[in-house]
Amino acid sequence: MSLLLFVVFLGLMFAGVPLGVAMGLAGTAVIYFADLGLMSLPTSVYTGIAKYPLLAIPVFVLAGMIFERSGVALRLVRFAVAIVGERRGGLALAAILVCMVLGGISGSGPADAAAVATVMIPGMVRAGYPLAFSAGIIAAAGSTAILIPPSIVFILYSVLVPEASVPALFAAGLIPGILAGLALMLPSWWLSVRNDFGAKERSDGEIKTTFWQAFKEAIWGLLAPVLILGGMRSGMFTPTEAAVVAVFYGLFVGLVIYRTLNWGSIYDVLVESAEVSGVILLIISLASVFAWAGSTLGAFEALGALLIGISSNETIVLLAVTLLLLVAGMFLDAVSILFIFVPFLLPVILHFKWDPVWFGIILAMNIAIGQFTPPMAINLMVTCRIAGIRIEETVPWVLWFLGAMSTAMLLVTFIPELALAVPRALGYLN
Amino acid sequence: MHSPGNKRPARIERALAAGCMALLCIITFANVLVRYLTNASFAFTEEFSVFLLLVLTLLGSVSAFAENRHIRITMLVEKLPKPGRRLCAGIEWMANIALFGLLAWFGYRMALDDFEFEVTSPGLGVPQWWYTVWLPLLSALIVVRLLLMLISKRRVPE
Repeated sequence: MSLLLFVVFLGLMFAGVPLGVAMGLAGTAVIYFADLGLMSLPTSVYTGIAKYPLLAIPVFVLAGMIFERSGVALRLVRFAVAIVGERRGGLALAAILVCMVLGGISGSGPADAAAVATVMIPGMVRAGYPLAFSAGIIAAAGSTAILIPPSIVFILYSVLVPEASVPALFAAGLIPGILAGLALMLPSWWLSVRNDFGAKERSDGEIKTTFWQAFKEAIWGLLAPVLILGGMRSGMFTPTEAAVVAVFYGLFVGLVIYRTLNWGSIYDVLVESAEVSGVILLIISLASVFAWAGSTLGAFEALGALLIGISSNETIVLLAVTLLLLVAGMFLDAVSILFIFVPFLLPVILHFKWDPVWFGIILAMNIAIGQFTPPMAINLMVTCRIAGIRIEETVPWVLWFLGAMSTAMLLVTFIPELALAVPRALGYLN
Repeated sequence: MHSPGNKRPARIERALAAGCMALLCIITFANVLVRYLTNASFAFTEEFSVFLLLVLTLLGSVSAFAENRHIRITMLVEKLPKPGRRLCAGIEWMANIALFGLLAWFGYRMALDDFEFEVTSPGLGVPQWWYTVWLPLLSALIVVRLLLMLISKRRVPE
């Protein structure tokens, strides 16, 4: 029966059925053949989605899009360029910096990558960066959005693993997120210098802004992460409320300060964010059917026991789990990974007494790497569509970023304090 | 991404989904304001917000189906010869119809139970079926949309 669950899922998945539908049908098939009662199908879907913490997901998606459309991303780019200056590799470093700051507003990798790619790729091309390199670095840097709080992945992980609270996870993601960004800067700077990227004269008449001018323009964007994170830290807002405050702050900046938004563009943003949220949330609700069927059968415990049985050596199991997640990340999206893997990794976490917050960070880092590693690289798909190139062309560059971020991930794996120091200092860990 | 002259499909669902999103934000923001200004709380609206989340999910999914934006793995399918690709497209289409058809039917039975046993919601105390009935209704809508999409695809070969 357990086999049926995974066989049906994998079969439908590779036939090109949407992932959520594949999980839902696999769960339904098992519920039917194991005679678990088909009424659990609508119940699982309904209770799977009707959860208060999940409300934060569509609102953070909307907030990210509003900050993109209102021109905050553009002004952050100008500011970042003013900081790093026009030198070889300068724009690549600026792209990473902007991705990290925007990651402090939006909680989704593809949204972050899309915002930065739209603004930066034309300028990077003019400065002499190849399209494939630009698309690759922005896809990779965009993935830090799910590590730097707020993060949709952490919200979902906390729903699945209630022992790890959202504030603790958000705090724990901060240093690994910055570490991942720094790790990406090294190869992108070195590659730029070696290949002479960004050395071209910028005689295209673009207005050069001074540092202070750029800073004054960008301050509204720079304040947003402070507002969101500060509000949550001080206990003023729940994550959902922080997301809503970000939405209205973004609307204020776009309508009043920059005057870049109008009612038409607000409607477009609402539609767009509703559709993107629909895609994410549908997977969550249908994955609940899969998860319910799997846990009722005991399929997940069996798999967990199998993993524990690999070796009595904790480190070997940890590396096996990491490898598994890394490979899964290359094929599946974040939500599917969480719903398929967390249920059977939980017994493993308990067995070795791993810290659930730290494990959530490792999980998110693996998901982040998967977001820009082909074949299923959701960030790369977005940036390549914007750049108008094929994903295959980016592979030689992406391998460098894969190596860099994997190194950061292994550091956090073997030095758990990198993740746990901040939440411990803030008193979020028991 | 969309050429302006091209009429985007599922316009009504799109507008309703946008409305859901706006309403969600307004309710939550009003909640924050009221809590800080008056010390009162209308947290009981939580169950309504959560219900909007369900509606948003299904409506947003309709337009994602219409634009083929659901996350799928097409890596293997694209390598297949033409008959194989058509077979997979058929499987995909039937899987979608089957799942939402089942959801519509069993969701209807769930709502019917809530109606017959007069279950009331925990927060606002309204009949629970006011909420649960939307799962089968919107699932049925998705089935209808998928059928319509098949017809329009037949008419305009890609």
